Amino acid sequence: MTIFLFTIRRCFRNIMNIILLCVLPFIVILMPNEEWTLLPLGFQLYGVVLFFAAARITSIIMEDRTKGVLMRIGVAPVTHLQYLWQNLLAYSLILIVQIVVVIAGGILYGHDLINPFLLLVVYVLFALTAIGFSLAWFSLFRHKETAFVVLMSSIMLMTMAGGMIWSVELMPELLQRLAMLFPTYWLAESLIIVATQADPTELAVPFVVLLLFTAAFLVIGSKRRLS
Amino acid sequence: MIIAYMNDIVKRYGSFRALDHVNLEVEKGEILGLLGPNGAGKTTLIHALAGLIKVDSGDISLFGKKLNDHIMEIKQQIGLVTQDITIFDDLTARENLEFFGGIYGLRGAELKQRVDETLAFVRLTDRAKNLPAKFSGGMKRRLNIACALVHRPKLLIMDEPTVGIDLQSRNYILESVRELQKQGTTILYTTHYMEEVQSLASKIVIMDQGHVIAKGTLEELVENIQHEEKIHLEVIDEPTSETLEELRSLNGVKQVIHNKKKIQIISSGGAENVDNVLAVVKKAGGVRSVTAEKPTLEDVFLTLTGKTLRDGEEE
Repeated sequence: MTIFLFTIRRCFRNIMNIILLCVLPFIVILMPNEEWTLLPLGFQLYGVVLFFAAARITSIIMEDRTKGVLMRIGVAPVTHLQYLWQNLLAYSLILIVQIVVVIAGGILYGHDLINPFLLLVVYVLFALTAIGFSLAWFSLFRHKETAFVVLMSSIMLMTMAGGMIWSVELMPELLQRLAMLFPTYWLAESLIIVATQADPTELAVPFVVLLLFTAAFLVIGSKRRLS
Repeated sequence: MIIAYMNDIVKRYGSFRALDHVNLEVEKGEILGLLGPNGAGKTTLIHALAGLIKVDSGDISLFGKKLNDHIMEIKQQIGLVTQDITIFDDLTARENLEFFGGIYGLRGAELKQRVDETLAFVRLTDRAKNLPAKFSGGMKRRLNIACALVHRPKLLIMDEPTVGIDLQSRNYILESVRELQKQGTTILYTTHYMEEVQSLASKIVIMDQGHVIAKGTLEELVENIQHEEKIHLEVIDEPTSETLEELRSLNGVKQVIHNKKKIQIISSGGAENVDNVLAVVKKAGGVRSVTAEKPTLEDVFLTLTGKTLRDGEEE
């Protein structure tokens, strides 16, 4: 588990990562309740923080690839699969701990989270999708800086088009249909179902779609081999 | 004892043959110098030997075992020093070594001991807790080497380990390579610096366009090429036209150039004309000094590839 342990350590060796992983969650918790949102504002927008955090920490894989460290690891008795799953496990664990802290913090702060357990499941599933998406994204680029700048813009577009900042109903019919292509849409859908206390079985479709997105992204992202 | 063996290796990238029926043997305890211009196939050969790429045909065996059948077992005994500095910038020198030791299966007290020993070997003990960002180019190179040594490989593959560093660090690295050989490590060393190969390697392999075009000791390689011999003379009296004509008539002499009392005689390879030339000029008044230029590895390389090594340009 050397790769896993060192990946966790490396995730906290960058000031931007520390802000995203340790500081922003507290801002999420401390954001006020707004009448116009179904969930406390911070929890409504928490998906964006998760997406950015996933992108930041997953970029470690791209850094290893562009710097040639991945090739060096490939000379060691380590398979591509071992390298990949230990990295992904580390990213997932970090985000899951953050989600648990955010939800527990929200409850302690006095927010009404309606169904904290289901909310936790929704965020965890979305975090996994965000990690998969970032992995796939970085596998398509040669330069980390270019990949990162374009990814940041894409995340902002997806959060807006996916209904995380405003309701998709406010958008034209065509865009509403296109929004379904983004994981953010299914996060927003899941949050609505949890916040409106609808039948939990209604979460099945968004959950399955998020899982399918995750699987597809992981397959694309794992194409780049150690060598 | 042969510890690495490549037999009839072919590796293609599309229609381009990066390795074209390559045969190579590395004997235990030797430093094998691998030379070749850019694009000769050296890096492809190294990657194939380290199990990083699959070859299209041919056999690779290391430590008496076929690479494809025992890849993880073989990888355990190989270390690769990459041409680029491939270390983690966000981990300290010690953490870098702990990581690479860890992925080779070292744990606990053994890992700590190996890390301490390796840091001492590359003289980075006092910088163990620093991030590489604070290191000089030479120190980064040393850490780059240390990461390949921490698990004590039996075969160390070094891909141009001294590129872009100061003379002091370079000398230190070369000294370390000799020390590793003394400790029993077998080393495959590629470089653009001819003098490094001349001073380090017990055997030299020259590659060009995916082929191994020559191999042997430095002496064997020099003997095998039909290189021109050059004799430089300074005579006491300025040579007469008869003396110069007599020199031109000697067996194998291709050219005689003179400038007052200085004469340069170029003979074809293997003519061994020094005695004959001296006999002629002694008759004509005597010799003040004589030097015979022997072919160098640079000449061998130039003769075989038609290129200089440093930049791979056509001569």
